[in-house]
Amino acid sequence: MKSDTLNGQLDPLILATVAEESAHGYAILQRLKERSSGAFDLAEGTIYPALHRLERDGLLTSKWSTGSGRRRRVYSLTRAGTSALEVRRQEWKHFAHAVEAVMG
Amino acid sequence: MSWLDELSLELHARGVPRRERARIAIELGDHIACEPGCEDRLGDPRALATSFADELATAGARNSAFATFAALAVAAVVLIVSQITLAGFANYPGYSNGISIVLFFPAILGMLVAPQVALVAGTLAVWRALRRRRVASLPAREIGLIHSRARVALGAGFATMVGVELYVVDFSQRLPAWWLGLIGGLAAVAGLGLVAASRTQLRARAIVSDAAGQPGDIYDDLPVLGWHWLRTRPWLLGALASVAVGLALGAFEAHAEHSIFEGIQRGLFEGVAAALGFLLLGRAIGARR
Repeated sequence: MKSDTLNGQLDPLILATVAEESAHGYAILQRLKERSSGAFDLAEGTIYPALHRLERDGLLTSKWSTGSGRRRRVYSLTRAGTSALEVRRQEWKHFAHAVEAVMG
Repeated sequence: MSWLDELSLELHARGVPRRERARIAIELGDHIACEPGCEDRLGDPRALATSFADELATAGARNSAFATFAALAVAAVVLIVSQITLAGFANYPGYSNGISIVLFFPAILGMLVAPQVALVAGTLAVWRALRRRRVASLPAREIGLIHSRARVALGAGFATMVGVELYVVDFSQRLPAWWLGLIGGLAAVAGLGLVAASRTQLRARAIVSDAAGQPGDIYDDLPVLGWHWLRTRPWLLGALASVAVGLALGAFEAHAEHSIFEGIQRGLFEGVAAALGFLLLGRAIGARR
């Protein structure tokens, strides 16, 4: 699936991934790949501007930690992020249901 | 040159602040260390730097508009307090009672005209920032318009506070010491708030966005003005706004001073000032192209 198709859907996908467990950028990307069975063909760097944007919007929070001897930024979902994710889930279900009804 | 070095250079070229650059470098460095050789999959460093810069410039412009509006709100309170307390004095001083008309006239211009400019430009800046708050990356020209509005508003805010300080100095021998101290001090504090908002704006303007698109204008912000006949004749909008301002403030003055003559004087002055403001600043605030 090309990144164009993902337009507008990357943010809720990241929120859903972080909702499972706090994680750093690379781990979030790996989870996205695993759960989608590698369906998303996006430039991996693009998740970082999205992570920063979600943090600016108050949907994610982050802190420094040390893993494998390196500093890394670990992201967690905020309360506002949890609410936003629930809203996006409902919207997506309605959308998917409507598309399926039309496409068959 | 490594992928990470190229990214850092591109971020620097786009004015991304050092702290943000350092964070991005650590995060992407960790990503590469997790899976050596994955640079190709991270994408073009120039495109990634552009994406960061566009979003940071957008967020910066919005923050600048909010900071400007907050600082102007404080300045507005100072101006209102000064006018309410002044109105309570039995011996309300006239222009000839001060130290010099060289102080009085700039003070009155600052206290009468500049606040209106600050109100219009500041409101338009914050309204655009609110209206487009869900857009991650605004066109560079739209970011420029928000900055331009905020810049005009801040300049007018400073002019207002300078006007208040000049008034304090001009009537330092006529008005009570407590009033001079209170209003002079409050205006200085409000001035500091405006300085802080200016710093926020300067930092935000340093980030360069490349995003294409139109800036939009006042008709996009206020759809109520969107009639075709008005949209294609911006000078008519300026004329109508000037007449409306003149009539409203003329009526206010006539009522406050119980004098039709003073109302007409004030109305003419305000109407002409609004027309001049539209001519001089209309383009900067997106009221005309």
